[in-house]
Amino acid sequence: MTTLISAQYKPTVWMKVQKNYFKNWRSALLSMMCFAVLGGIVWSIVDWGILNATFSSTARHTECYANGGACWSIIANRWRVILFGLYPYDEQWRSITACFIVVATIAFSCFPVFWTVRRLSLIWLVGAASFFVIMKGGVFGLSLVSEEQWGGLALTLFIFVGTVLIGMPLAIMLALLRNSKLPVISKVTGVIIDTVRSLPLISILFTFALVLPFMLPDMLVGEKLYRVIAASALFFAAYQAEIIRGGMQGVPKGQEEAAQALGLGYYQRITRIILPQAFKNALPAMINQFVTTFMETSLVTIVGFFELLASANAAYGTGEWNFAFVEVYFFVAAIYFAFVFALSRYGAFLERRMAN
Amino acid sequence: MYASTNAVEIRNLQKFYGQYHALRNINLSVKKGEKVVVCGPSGSGKSTMIRCINRLEEHNDGSINVLGTELSDDISNIDEIRREVGMVFQHFNLFPHMTVLENCTLAPMLVRKMPLAEAEALAMKFLEKVRIPHQADKFPGQLSGGQQQRVAIARALCMQPEVLLFDEPTSALDPEMIAEVLDVMTSLASEGMTMICVTHEMGFARKVADRVIFMDAGEVVEEGDPESFFTNPQNERTAAFLSQILSD
Repeated sequence: MTTLISAQYKPTVWMKVQKNYFKNWRSALLSMMCFAVLGGIVWSIVDWGILNATFSSTARHTECYANGGACWSIIANRWRVILFGLYPYDEQWRSITACFIVVATIAFSCFPVFWTVRRLSLIWLVGAASFFVIMKGGVFGLSLVSEEQWGGLALTLFIFVGTVLIGMPLAIMLALLRNSKLPVISKVTGVIIDTVRSLPLISILFTFALVLPFMLPDMLVGEKLYRVIAASALFFAAYQAEIIRGGMQGVPKGQEEAAQALGLGYYQRITRIILPQAFKNALPAMINQFVTTFMETSLVTIVGFFELLASANAAYGTGEWNFAFVEVYFFVAAIYFAFVFALSRYGAFLERRMAN
Repeated sequence: MYASTNAVEIRNLQKFYGQYHALRNINLSVKKGEKVVVCGPSGSGKSTMIRCINRLEEHNDGSINVLGTELSDDISNIDEIRREVGMVFQHFNLFPHMTVLENCTLAPMLVRKMPLAEAEALAMKFLEKVRIPHQADKFPGQLSGGQQQRVAIARALCMQPEVLLFDEPTSALDPEMIAEVLDVMTSLASEGMTMICVTHEMGFARKVADRVIFMDAGEVVEEGDPESFFTNPQNERTAAFLSQILSD
């Protein structure tokens, strides 16, 4: 008898479905409608993307038209343009190697074992140097490929990593200056942050890429790519600084007082007590800013760089393939998704790790 | 000038918050090894006064001399005093992102440049003293209030300070946890630590204090040995305060 009752109280999957989606006739109706719409969407994607699709790399557009579905042949034919942009055809193995170097460097620095200033700097020094040698060449018998010819995924990653590497320390510095006890410093920093935040990223990119060369002496102008990265880093830092400052405000005043009472100096209090807790408070918003920045790298096409999205546009931009832009965007979206999803999973890992 | 037997010497101390006169002409000398209890109604300035001793609050006038070092704007003087003066807070203020052991080893390693093994041995010694060594690998959030406050005392002791300041160390605790913290403080007192305690625990004051100081409205109204302070208060404000606090 008792076993019967307890067996009844153990909810089966079907009972949960019933309880959550078919509680009464209204919820049942709504559920059925949602399932129908979802099912329809999934079916049409499967129908278009797989069942009626053309996969053959030798197929031409006529064959795709005949099949009626997606024309994945364009990816097979044009993936090099998407991934490498204007990078010279014979040297493209260097571009893909460079991508792996960036991803490996990021992956290494994600492991808590490497979270000391010395180890992180070493990893990034080696990573950046080897990326640069591989991409630009001009040494070790590698032919020179100037920055204007860089493109596709490697360029997107380079701009993103450059932005974060310059922007993150800058953001921390701005957040600390903004919190300074000296009113002049905190006010001036506040004006700088608010100015950058009130300008659209595009206008900052334009200014750095096209206007700055007229205003600076020649020796300070540098390559356009690096000016663009500087602009992007400045924009990133202004937002991230406010996020970090918000996190710092969530740290109780007693924390700093306890550290002071123990005799810790300013730098020690900031690095050991305040920032670790501020990062923990601000982590979801910080990860969000990383994700946004990764996708905003596509804005550099406006000043003439062929990063991932611009290269994708070029990939279907020939007379033969220009009907197949949806397939190209699917492919590019999948690449963006892979990176952003990894980033958000890593954020979730950090949140779990910090929760104690 | 500074007498070598005095740990803390406060002269004509004045402190303002804007227009508000928080401390009025405070004079206080605490000898080495002396235990002083400071009491008084809330808002009387007792916390402000002991927070001035390690410069958590800046004083506006008068002088504070700790162990022969004059407290001034000079950052190296402030650092020197903070190394020798420990503090225990009302809300413990343990670092939540570090384990109990890391809380205790942090300052000796960063400030005294002690090697890790030595700092850990020292921390375990003081964690044993506050009777909590088995919790060393836990995080503060996993401990009860009384346990956290004992860890906070151990953390302060790890800097091996000459003077310990207590800022209402039992006020945030549940009643059943007050005794365990007071026990630790009593045993510290018996070992000769110089202590200045802001507290409302009159039983502790009577048992441990060499001197009790009563503050009201930012000034020291009365001071004396515990016996005469409690049985025969001279000032009527003291008498009124004591009758209030001892009535229950």
